[in-house]
Amino acid sequence: MATPAARLPASAALQRRGAGGGLARALGPDYRLGYLFVAPIVVLVLALVAYPFGYAIYLSLTRKYVGVPPVWVGFDNYVKLTWDGFFQRAVVNSFVFTFGSVAVKLALGMAMALVLTARIRFRSFWTGVLLIPWVAPTVVSALNFLWIYDYSLGVLNYLLVKVLRVLPQGVGWLSEPGTAMASVIAVNVWRGFPFFGISFLAGMKAIPAEMYEAAAVDGATALQRFRHVTLPALQNIIIIVVLLSTIWTFNDFTIIYILTKGGPGGATQVLPVLTYEIAFGAQRLGEAIAVALYMLPAMAVVIIVLARHMRRGRAR
Amino acid sequence: MDQRLRHLAEQLDVGLIARREFLRKAAVVTGGAAAGLATLRTMASAQPKTKLRVWLFKSFVTNANDVLGRQIEAWAKERGVDVELDWATFGDREPKFVAAIEAGNPPDLAEMHIMGPTRYKAVLRDMSALAGDLARAKGGLLPFAETAMKIDGKFLAVARYSMTTVFFVRKDVMEAKGLKPPKVYDPDVVEFARKTQDPSKDLFGFGQTLNRSDDGDGFMENIFWDYGGGSWDKDGKPALGTTFRAQNLKALQFAVDTIQKHKIQPPGVMGWTDVSNNEAYMAGKLVTTNNGASLYYAMVTKKHELAAKTQLVLTPGGPGGSFVGSSCYNWAIFGKSKHADLCEDLIRWVEDEKRFSEYLHVSVGQAGPVYKGRVDHPYWKSDPNFEAIVQNIVRSVNYGHPGPLTSAAVEVRAQHILTDMAGRVVVGGLSPEAALKEAHARVEEIYKMRRT
Repeated sequence: MATPAARLPASAALQRRGAGGGLARALGPDYRLGYLFVAPIVVLVLALVAYPFGYAIYLSLTRKYVGVPPVWVGFDNYVKLTWDGFFQRAVVNSFVFTFGSVAVKLALGMAMALVLTARIRFRSFWTGVLLIPWVAPTVVSALNFLWIYDYSLGVLNYLLVKVLRVLPQGVGWLSEPGTAMASVIAVNVWRGFPFFGISFLAGMKAIPAEMYEAAAVDGATALQRFRHVTLPALQNIIIIVVLLSTIWTFNDFTIIYILTKGGPGGATQVLPVLTYEIAFGAQRLGEAIAVALYMLPAMAVVIIVLARHMRRGRAR
Repeated sequence: MDQRLRHLAEQLDVGLIARREFLRKAAVVTGGAAAGLATLRTMASAQPKTKLRVWLFKSFVTNANDVLGRQIEAWAKERGVDVELDWATFGDREPKFVAAIEAGNPPDLAEMHIMGPTRYKAVLRDMSALAGDLARAKGGLLPFAETAMKIDGKFLAVARYSMTTVFFVRKDVMEAKGLKPPKVYDPDVVEFARKTQDPSKDLFGFGQTLNRSDDGDGFMENIFWDYGGGSWDKDGKPALGTTFRAQNLKALQFAVDTIQKHKIQPPGVMGWTDVSNNEAYMAGKLVTTNNGASLYYAMVTKKHELAAKTQLVLTPGGPGGSFVGSSCYNWAIFGKSKHADLCEDLIRWVEDEKRFSEYLHVSVGQAGPVYKGRVDHPYWKSDPNFEAIVQNIVRSVNYGHPGPLTSAAVEVRAQHILTDMAGRVVVGGLSPEAALKEAHARVEEIYKMRRT
C-alpha cells in the first residue's frame, strides 16, 4: 500500500522540501546534479575566456610596458587612439578591407555554387579544385602571392606584360596606392570564397527540385528562379556566412602582415596588424590591447546578430 | 603489465586462487611497485641535472648557427648541464621575448638584438663584471657597442658581434662603364645608377626600399644623418620637424626622388620586404643596393656567379657626412635565472677567441667585430670585400644619434616612423613638409610616453 507522501504529485512533494523547493521547481528535481555537470565547463570558460578577457580590458586601461608593472590611466589609451590619425586610417582600411573582401567573396561564392549545381562534367573534381585555396595554409598562400605580385620576378607581371601583352610594363602591385589594398583584398578573396561557395552549395542542394519545376511551369526564367526560389531559400545561410566572414576578415592578420606589413606608408594598415606592431614593435601592451578592443562593440553587434540567426536556424 | 599480476590473473582464471586472494596479492604487488617507483623517483630527483634554457638568434647565415649550436652542446657536455636551445629569427624574436617576460618565464640566457638591453632593461641582470673582463681582454669595446650594452651605467649585456649594411655594387657593370664606386648619394649614386641601368632590360641602377622593413628603416635613418639631420637632437629630444627640419626635408626629398624624379629604382620598390632586394640583386636586376653581409654569404656559399662580380663598398654619405647604424648582437641573462654563474661560464666559453674564430670563419662577413681586438683579426684581410664591412662597423652610430640611445629612439625605429613618412609621400601623395610634420607628431608622442 502506498504511503500518503508517495501518492502526492512530484511537484507537491518537492514543495515540502523547504528552501530547495523553489529552485527545484524552477530548474527541475535534479538541479544539484545539473550544477555538478555544468561546473567543469563553467570553470573552463571562466579560466580560458572570462579571466583573460577581463584582464585584457584591465590592461587596456593602463600604461603597460614589457617587464614593468601596469600603471592605471583610465580611458587615456582609448581617447588618444580616437584622435590618432594613424589609427583612424587603420580603422578606415579595416572596413575597406573587410567589406571589399566580403562583397567579392559573396559574389564569387554564389557563382561557384551555381556552377557546381549545374550539370557539368567532373563536378566532384571541380569542387575539390575550388576548395584548394580554402584548405591551403594562409601563410603558404600569402608567401606565394608575395612572389606572384613581385614587380621584377613575379609571375603576374610576366603574364600581363610578356605573355598576354596587355600591359606595356609591369605594375608594382603592393607598392602603388591604387593597387596595394586591392591586391591584399584579392588574396583574402582567393582564400575565402570557397567557404562561401561550399556553404551555398550545401544550401542549394537542400532546395526541393519541385520548387524549381513549379517555377519553370509558371514560365519563370533562370534569373527569376534564382531571385524568387534560390535566394529566399538561401537567405539564412547567406546571412550567417556573411557575418562569419565579416568577423574573420576583420580579424585577418596573416595576409596583410606577410604581404605589406601595413605599408607602404600605412596604405594597407589594418587593426590586427596595428595591434601586433604596438604590442611587439613598440611594446606598449596597454595601448595595443586598446586598439584590439576599440572595435569590439561593432564586432559584438555582428556576433549578436549572427548568434540570433544561428539559433533561429537551429530552432527550425 | 607486471609479470606477477599476469601470473596471478592466470591462477585466478584456472581457479587456483580465490578472487579475494587475487585482489589481496594484486594490491600488494601494485602497492609495492608504486612505492618502489616513488623511491626511485625521489632518489633521481635528489641529484637533478641542471637545466639551462638558452634562446639563440637564427640568422640567415645558417653555417654560423650550426657552429654556435655545436659549441653550446660541447659546453653542456663538458659541464654536465642539460641545455635547451631555442632558435628565433627576425620576425619571431621580439614576440617570443615579450610573451616569455610577461608570462614570468623568460629563458636563462638569450642572444639579443642591439635593441634588447634598452628594451628589456627592467628584467635583465647586471653583467658589468663579466662584460668588463671580456672587453679588457679583447682590447675594449667599439664605442657604438659600448653605448648599446651599457644602460644607466651598467652593462646589461655582453657584446658578441655586429651585423652591418654595406653598399653592394655590380663590379662588372661598373668596370664596363669605366666608373668608380660612389661616395655620396647625391649626385654620385644617382649618376652611377643612371649610367649603368637599363630599365628596358629590367636592370635598375639602385634598389633601396622605403617600405616598412629593416632595410628601409635603416636607410632612412642613415640618409637623415648623412644630410646632417635625424629624429633626435644631441640631448635626445625630438628634432625631426624642429631642430633638423631643413636637413631632414632635403634628405626625405632625396629619398623620394630616387623613385619619382631620378627613376633609378624598380617601380615595385615601395612594396619590398627585407628579402626583396636580395632576390632582385641575385636575379641580376640591380646594379647597386644596400644590404647586410647575409646577401654576400648567400652568393658565396651558393657559388652564385655574381659573388665574384660584386664589390662591397662603404655606405655612401651626404652633405653632413657618412653615417651607418649597425646592430650589435649580444648575450643577456635574465634576472629570474637561477643559473647566472653557469650562463656567464657559457658566455666565456663561446666568446673564447678560438671558438669565436671558428664562428667568424663560417659567417662570411656577417659576424663583424665589436671589440677593438677583433678588428685586426686576420680573417678580415682574407677577402677585399670585408674591408667595407669592418670600416662601416668601426664608424657606426646608434639609434638616437646624435643624442643618446633611448627607449624612445628604439621605439621610433621599431614603429617604422621614418619609412611611413616616406611612404606617405610616395604612395599617400602628401608633400614632404606635411609628411615630416605628421611623423614629427608621432615622434613627440612616443617621446612623451616613454618619458613618463
